[in-house]
Amino acid sequence: MQFILGIDIGGTFTDAFATDEQARVASAKAPSTPDDYARGVIDAIDELAARLQISTESLLRSTSYICHGTTASLNSLVTGTGATVGFMTTCGHGDSIVIMNGEGRYAGLGPEQIQDFTRTNKPPPLVRKRLVKEIDERVDYKGAELLPLNEEVTRAAVKELIDEGVAAIAVSLLWSFRNPSHENRIRDLIHEVAPDLYVSLSSEVCPRIREYPRSVTTIMNGQVGPALRAYLRSLEAELKRREFGGVLLIMQGSGGTISADTAPRQAISTIGSVLVGGVVGSVNLGESLGHKNIISTDMGGTTFLVGMVVDGKPVTATTTIINQYTLNLPMVRVAAIGSGGGAIAWIDQGGNLKVGPRSAGAAPGPACYGTGGTEPTITDADLVLGILNPDFFLGGRKQLRRDLSEQVIRDKIATPLKMSVEAAAATIYSIANAQASDLVRKVVVSAGYDPRDFALYSFGGAGPVHCAGYAADLGVASVVVPLGSTAAAFSAFGLAASNVGLTAEVSRPQNFPVPAEVVNRTFEELETRLRADLEEQRIPFSRVTMAREIDIRYTLQLAEVSTPVKSDKLSEDDIHGISDSFEELYTKLYGKGTGYREAGLQFITYRVYAVGYLPFKPALPALPKASHAVESAIKGRRRAFLDMTAGWTETTVYDYEKLTFGHEINGPAIVEAPTTTVAVPPRAAAIIDRFGNLVLQFK
Amino acid sequence: MIQTIAGSEKFAYRPSSRAEILKKVPAKLRLHSVDRQQVAELDPLTYEVIRHRLWAITEEMGEAIKRMSGSVVVTDCNDFDCAVMDELGDEVQVGLYNAQLCASMDMAVKWTLENRATNPGIAEGDMFLCNDPWVGGGLHQNDASLFAPFFWEGELLGWTCAVAHQVDVGGVSPGSWTPRSENVFWESLPTPPIKLVERYQLRSDIEDAFLRRSRMPKLLALDLRAMMGANNVAQERLTVLIRKYSAAIVKAVMYRVMDDAEERLRAKLRSLPDGTWHSVSYQDQAKSGDRGLYKVVLAMTKRGDRLIFDFHGTDPQVVGMINCTYAGMRAGVLAIVMMWLCGDIPWAPGGIERCLEFISEDGTLNNCNFPSGISKASVGSTWATHNVAIECIAAMLDMHPTHRENAMSICTGTWDLILLSGVDQHDNGFVTMLCDPMAGGLGARTDQDGVDTGGGPCIPMGRAADVEMNEFQFPILYLWRREEVDSGGPGRFRGGLGASSCFMIHDSSLRSMGLVVSSSGKAVPLACGASGGYPANTSYDVAVRNSKMRQLLGGRRWPRELEELGGAFDHLPPECDTQIGWDDVYYTNWQGGGGYGDPLLRDPERVAWDVAERKVSREAARNLYGTALDDRGQVAADATLELRRQLLMRRAGSPAKPPRAARAAEPGWSRIDDNVVTDADGRWCCAHCGTALGDSGRSNLDGALIRRGHPSEAGPQIRGEPHRFVDQHIIFRQSCCPGCYVALLTEIVPEDETQYRTKTLSPPQESGAAAAVRKG
Repeated sequence: MQFILGIDIGGTFTDAFATDEQARVASAKAPSTPDDYARGVIDAIDELAARLQISTESLLRSTSYICHGTTASLNSLVTGTGATVGFMTTCGHGDSIVIMNGEGRYAGLGPEQIQDFTRTNKPPPLVRKRLVKEIDERVDYKGAELLPLNEEVTRAAVKELIDEGVAAIAVSLLWSFRNPSHENRIRDLIHEVAPDLYVSLSSEVCPRIREYPRSVTTIMNGQVGPALRAYLRSLEAELKRREFGGVLLIMQGSGGTISADTAPRQAISTIGSVLVGGVVGSVNLGESLGHKNIISTDMGGTTFLVGMVVDGKPVTATTTIINQYTLNLPMVRVAAIGSGGGAIAWIDQGGNLKVGPRSAGAAPGPACYGTGGTEPTITDADLVLGILNPDFFLGGRKQLRRDLSEQVIRDKIATPLKMSVEAAAATIYSIANAQASDLVRKVVVSAGYDPRDFALYSFGGAGPVHCAGYAADLGVASVVVPLGSTAAAFSAFGLAASNVGLTAEVSRPQNFPVPAEVVNRTFEELETRLRADLEEQRIPFSRVTMAREIDIRYTLQLAEVSTPVKSDKLSEDDIHGISDSFEELYTKLYGKGTGYREAGLQFITYRVYAVGYLPFKPALPALPKASHAVESAIKGRRRAFLDMTAGWTETTVYDYEKLTFGHEINGPAIVEAPTTTVAVPPRAAAIIDRFGNLVLQFK
Repeated sequence: MIQTIAGSEKFAYRPSSRAEILKKVPAKLRLHSVDRQQVAELDPLTYEVIRHRLWAITEEMGEAIKRMSGSVVVTDCNDFDCAVMDELGDEVQVGLYNAQLCASMDMAVKWTLENRATNPGIAEGDMFLCNDPWVGGGLHQNDASLFAPFFWEGELLGWTCAVAHQVDVGGVSPGSWTPRSENVFWESLPTPPIKLVERYQLRSDIEDAFLRRSRMPKLLALDLRAMMGANNVAQERLTVLIRKYSAAIVKAVMYRVMDDAEERLRAKLRSLPDGTWHSVSYQDQAKSGDRGLYKVVLAMTKRGDRLIFDFHGTDPQVVGMINCTYAGMRAGVLAIVMMWLCGDIPWAPGGIERCLEFISEDGTLNNCNFPSGISKASVGSTWATHNVAIECIAAMLDMHPTHRENAMSICTGTWDLILLSGVDQHDNGFVTMLCDPMAGGLGARTDQDGVDTGGGPCIPMGRAADVEMNEFQFPILYLWRREEVDSGGPGRFRGGLGASSCFMIHDSSLRSMGLVVSSSGKAVPLACGASGGYPANTSYDVAVRNSKMRQLLGGRRWPRELEELGGAFDHLPPECDTQIGWDDVYYTNWQGGGGYGDPLLRDPERVAWDVAERKVSREAARNLYGTALDDRGQVAADATLELRRQLLMRRAGSPAKPPRAARAAEPGWSRIDDNVVTDADGRWCCAHCGTALGDSGRSNLDGALIRRGHPSEAGPQIRGEPHRFVDQHIIFRQSCCPGCYVALLTEIVPEDETQYRTKTLSPPQESGAAAAVRKG
């Protein structure tokens, strides 16, 4: 009996999911414990063991892998509570991290905020000036040393930083990815005086061209590294004490995991692991359902998140933005708008109804929670429309008050707009759906794809309430609401059974054609490094794959396109083949006839993704084929509004717990599950698949 | 003297009213329209969903242009825009790119409706190309626009338009703006609207005629395709939208978006007091070798729900490249109205502009006649127009309890052009504009500092490339790129810092490269402060000739200051064309944002923070902010009080009475700005000490104490000597409260300049000032 556990530490709850090769599954939930997250993790494991009716020790004894994602690192960056970091950089360039290429004032903001130009600001500085040390040294674009490292200046700077009590030192020198010798030497000099100090070198953390995001990434790595190191040491000790003998893995923003031993060195790669949980869950579920192209949509309390899976792999981006800072970090691409269940409906000065991006969040929450919310939210509209059942929200764990929803919608929306409360609620519902639909479309189309080639997965508390509304317009092939065994902890399910993923990259910007010998050597270096890194994970992988790519651009264009490259030794002909693939991809993304070819191409960054497959294949439990009529699952009827064209209809309500494989429901219908509610509008049908998921089809 | 050319009147366009355009459109061109009833009947859901989608369409157009374009001016500086318009060319939604360009796209479409509908006709599948700033479609010849009628069932339903700055469209200098320009014939020739795409086919004869003029025809061709692509994307999306909702409903939403923007701007204006605000902005030099100083003057009157912009007093058009056309003047105003007044109002210029009125004499700097030189228009007289509009609008907003938060002082006095050319490290020729000055300083606000190195006034999202990207692409080696300490205008709230780049030539077989520098603001800083706040820095460009930088390589120390480089300082004038030799080092310092309020009123703790973060030097902290810091950088409270008292006394001259003590606000006081209130009797009073300053129907500065001095009185950010560049004598001038000596206005102006930067409030009824302004 070998278990694998997925643990997802969220802001409020820590979710856990266990599975084994015999498709035994269990899920559990415990409150997160921000003062020491390890405690919440142990609590969740205790709960899992209880569900499985075994002791925690015997669960952990028979657990091969624990994979976990944490929001802690990301939170510390967003709230500015990371470690105090000293920053050393090339003389003349210490201001790069405050100039932020000028784009730091608006990067990552929504269009409404950007339009409000006079109120935009840069975020607080990452590092106070007294902790920024400019070092006399210089290397040029070819990696040639123009000014040797001034060791005297370096030693003095290190001493000053240590005297200031920094918890880490980040070093990011110009062109260090071409010639890391000065950065390496600086680390030696730091360790001479402080052997245990956490040192973050840009040539190791992200050896990629563009000093601003490279420095930011290196600094943020220093801000989260020491805490992650301390936390993982304590968690591993706790687990060991409870007889865990397997491997502890940490999820990374790229969608692959890394062993807890090696994670702290690349601490920055673990941020965003919570955002990607849903996308990775979609990949895993998609494997069972035979979906290779998936749009993953997660509508929670405050945000609506959209990610994509293409050909069975999450779509990644090579940069990401945190707190308006740009990072060089391969990460699963997730787009967000403030359109979660708590998004507030309001009337602008022009008398127009708007929904979001402001949210009532968890506190005070929607008005219907009865916890002091005085503004109408999407959840309030859902309740007024009869879609949500006030007595069965989250399976009855929270009682909702329809009167409060009606009151705020009446006061804030219906009366000013001279509408009925019900019409106002219907309008809020439909605007929220249209916004979600616009975002999904934008995400898919701007990545060069057609929504019709995708299945759409919808999860998060509020997603299934709205997915029929936002998916119908997109023309997607099918809509899946993951229910069944994975529903309660979909992200944690995503984490369980994720494989190890490591990335190595280096910029060697050069004009095309680049000699094959250079390309081969660069990839061999990266792969040699990755093989060593995989070795360090101390896991008996069932197999290992390597995928190469080069970021290529037209000389005069901003956009670099990551272009896949085959894994063998490359000939000069192959190099030309790479440029052809780039042009094909470019055309796919940006249209025919685009790109200024005459200006030539440039190969900028080389990257290899390694995946180490765990020798373990978890399975999902299959449901028995329905032997009872679907009518037996009916728990009642109520008037509800599920769709603008049909309006209010008498709607059948089904108890999800009584549905099973093969059941088919025709809209209008509502399916109430313990974790969410699914709206099945008229002209749609819902089918329960063999894993208990609900599949929506439009007629 | 510039002679007007007979025959050019046809192109000297002023946007006509809808009724006038309708009269000129032939019957064969059927226009799609809906009546007021259909607009009124829109339900909130349909309106919001379609409005959101129209916005999404302009975003998609923008993305399409950025991805296809091969020019950093587009991809990094965002110097482009796009619009969806109704059948008569009124803009329903524009992108969040270069807000200047909104004021030109509609003009080009309206001109086309009036002049092209009969011959050659306007039909489905057509697209018109235009780069004639007298017609519209751009502010200088580099702005090429491409606009397409959108037909539905045989009726002209609307237009889509894309416009983008092109790297080179001909003329005597690479890059198409030249410090040598005498008039437009030295520049790229303007092209009035021509049908580039006919019935969905690109006409190659027309395209060739346009490309032939350029030094980079292939790049130009690519950008034309980028704009075609943007129009195609927009028209496809509109088609889908109309199929779902009907043409009538989509059109009704278009009208309502504009009505909504108009109504909301009117409501905001109604909530503000009536009055007239005056301002001025100077440009030093119109071309290389020139020593003139040229001003744009504005009196902005707000009455009820209208804003009237009167430019009387602006200098005549000038020989050189800094003039702008009527479209440029309109852009100078409209961009600022959108960015300062419409942060929370839909960017539907078709509705916004209904609240605005322009009064201007033909043949002036910002309303010039053909064939005045205009190749620098967008960052010449249009930018100067931004500056005066910002001063007036911010002063108006300052009087409102909540809208005050949008009152931002002048940002980045101008664009500092750095155009490099030569042979790169791969032995290829290159021409490029460095985008580093996109990180200009934003003006201070009434409640917080300006953003350091945060952008400029008309482009919400610009960016500078990384140093490594520039060093990889071009044969240059940076000594530094940094924020310049003290460059933000001092004030109670400090203006955002500007920055500097310093580099040398590296790895070029030519061992020399061409440099065109174009930046006014060297004799007179352009980002002046508000409410007593001080101006940001002057632009400052230096070529250190025959430096010893190359000997320093391989040594132990990297230079931090120009003084360490040896050699001779060559102070580059505002408009110049020069070479950077093998041993030369080039340094450029672009402008920050103006300050707000008297720096002597700044919270000393903020000054201490600024010193610690190297935003402000210790000297400036002491001399301008009157803040004494101890060895550890902590505020010395008593010493600060004493220092501030001394600095106030210095303003008064000697002998003087000690400054009057601050007193509490009296009932009936109404705030004008940080220093001035009106009392219950309608008199201006000092907000700090209560001293009466005069009647609010007259200038707020009538009762002020005026002190004059050398420009360096304004602080260390005023670098360089004005007499190097202009003949007029330039001074520091400060208007202070005669009671407590707090600064009411701080300026750098020509010595004999009259007082331009004043405010007058209208009596509640008919405003005499506004009536006079109307008459002109």
